[in-house]
Amino acid sequence: MKKWHLLLYILMSLMLAGCWDQHHLVNKTFVNGIGYDLTEEGNVKVTVRTVNIKGKGGGQFDVEDILLFAEQEMQIGLGTEIDSMVAGEVDFSQAHIILIGDEMAKTGINQLLEFYYRGKDANIAKKVAITKGTAESVISTEIEKSPIAFFILQAIEGGENASYLPDESISSIWTKLLTQGRDLLLPYMEQVTPEKIRIAGVALMDGDKFSGKTLTIEQSSLLLLMMDELKKTSQMYLVLDEAKDESIRISTKQVKRKLDIEVDEKNGNVMASINLKLKIGIDSYPHNLNKNINQNELSQKISRELTKQAKEITNILQEANCDPFGIGLRVSTTYPETWEKLNWDKDFKNVTIKPNVEVEIIKTGSIY
Amino acid sequence: MMGSQISITKFQLLMVLIQTQIGIGLLSLPNVVQESARGDGWISILFAGVVIQFLLIIYLKLLKKFPNDMLTDITKKLLGKHLGTIVNTTIYFYFIFTGSTLTILMIKILNEQLLPLTPGWVVSFLIIASCVYLTVSNLRVIARFFVLATFWILVLICITVLSIWLPKEIQFILPVGSAGGKNILLGSNNALLAMLGFEALLFLFPFVIGNTKGMLKTVSYANLFVTSFYTFITFLCLVTFSPEQLHQIREPVLFLFRGLTYRMVDRLDLIFLSIWIIPMTTSIIMYLFLASKCLAGKKKSYKNAVIINGIILFCLSFIPNTDKITDTLTQYVSFLSYTIVIFLPCLLLLLSRLVKKRRSGGFV
Repeated sequence: MKKWHLLLYILMSLMLAGCWDQHHLVNKTFVNGIGYDLTEEGNVKVTVRTVNIKGKGGGQFDVEDILLFAEQEMQIGLGTEIDSMVAGEVDFSQAHIILIGDEMAKTGINQLLEFYYRGKDANIAKKVAITKGTAESVISTEIEKSPIAFFILQAIEGGENASYLPDESISSIWTKLLTQGRDLLLPYMEQVTPEKIRIAGVALMDGDKFSGKTLTIEQSSLLLLMMDELKKTSQMYLVLDEAKDESIRISTKQVKRKLDIEVDEKNGNVMASINLKLKIGIDSYPHNLNKNINQNELSQKISRELTKQAKEITNILQEANCDPFGIGLRVSTTYPETWEKLNWDKDFKNVTIKPNVEVEIIKTGSIY
Repeated sequence: MMGSQISITKFQLLMVLIQTQIGIGLLSLPNVVQESARGDGWISILFAGVVIQFLLIIYLKLLKKFPNDMLTDITKKLLGKHLGTIVNTTIYFYFIFTGSTLTILMIKILNEQLLPLTPGWVVSFLIIASCVYLTVSNLRVIARFFVLATFWILVLICITVLSIWLPKEIQFILPVGSAGGKNILLGSNNALLAMLGFEALLFLFPFVIGNTKGMLKTVSYANLFVTSFYTFITFLCLVTFSPEQLHQIREPVLFLFRGLTYRMVDRLDLIFLSIWIIPMTTSIIMYLFLASKCLAGKKKSYKNAVIINGIILFCLSFIPNTDKITDTLTQYVSFLSYTIVIFLPCLLLLLSRLVKKRRSGGFV
């Protein structure tokens, strides 16, 4: 009886799952950054940065950074083509960043990202950015040979913490692409010099297509506050009076946003008012240094300036047909009958958006 | 009749019911309920919980009349030997069928998400072998294991709490009640299927110590826990994913964790699924136990019955798990479950009342 048991245990241990599903690190080539572009002939071109790990023996590894290209009529075959170029199997699960060239993005991004939604190995927590010019130009930039994908990832995450980039990953992008009446903002990257890349601001998306319009980092800081998305810090600098050379750098500590929507059910006019109450600290105000700050006067000045800028931002958003506040979503849930009659793609431009910003200075730093 | 060897306490019954109810059904539940109930899917689940509560009350009314009998004995007493045997065979098929469907679904999801290269039969062999190993020992051992396994459910709840930090949009479920009563009911119908397992009470009742009073409280706690856990997770999915997106995702609960990322850990869905193997297996263990009890009755052939049923489950798990076949299987299970879980106990309760009246009438 005991021997029979032993035999059973041996048989069972042979069936342990690890024997089938084992993956060796050294057999894999990890893709850590992907760029999609539309070529002039209308083909899809993919540029990937991969890390090839080679065992040197003794537990030591050599890491190689390789740049690969593939071009096909449709994006569907690109993975196989990349796979045929590398040693071992290609692993997309560690791709941290997906860059999409502006021309490609104008034709729609949902189809490009489908692979990452469906795939079992795909990491949907990764970041997506739109690039000025080709994605290839950004991703092939050499920054001291360190994997560029990590540099881009860190830059984007830094931007998210400083509240000038929206916190979007593939999973949240997918949600927003499939939400009616709410649009997406994506980071906008550009290559400044052949060795340098930077975040230029945010790209405004109209549905899953890039509208071609962008906001600068200064504008997107205010826009994210208007969307009530303050992360760790948020800094802005304002020119209050050009003639007197009066400028200020402020950081927002607290945001209270109220988004009210009124719908005229007869003619279907939609009015949205965004009331923003900011509690700010002053980081730098190199003006009238011989006096203490007159907080009331100054906060009124800042409020006026920010309200003016907010109006400019909403105008650009309406030109781009990009609704990041989810005004359409609110209308669709609170006024379903009116929503049925509206054609949001066209009617968003006619929405009256009234932004109003009020600031209260709560900190002035070490000096009054 | 019932020896002290195979009795369980009320607390153990609570855990057994929870473990049997919670299982693979949860993973796709948000998708299934929102198909008809849209943003009101969470109401559907609450309503399904209410329906289950009513069923549990009916079960207890029936079982209190026969405190020492399992369902299979009650059918024989009330329906007569021949009809009783036919009904008991149907019950047996229901348990085997449900058990094998759960196994097939579990192998499918493990093969798709965790172990793509491992042959399906190896996975099913490992699962069923461990199920049989636990089930051949008596009910008390099973109950103790289930109590222990509940610890993992608490871990899973902790992991679930992490997904609260994903971006949420409350507008997705507004306005509440917009789906309409009919669609919410249809959603409840689907939710009930994912919450099956409470029918184990029909077989466990005679084994519980002190089953004369306080039973309603115990089973209600089990139902309350399962319903609130399911409602909570479905609610999370409904506010995280947009309706069109939820419509496309097969296992929204796993996607909930896929979007989470931390410096140290990534792909929480794989961790969640690895732990979720335990609640999935406990459901299979319970169905294996129920099928074997059905087959063996009060006779001593219980151990053999477990082994035979284990082999049957293993053979049935070779049914290819393509999307089409699993869909048909779940549909058959739902038809059978309505007969066994809802119709049969109600009928038996009605009959038991009639029989009692006739008897008392006869005495007069």
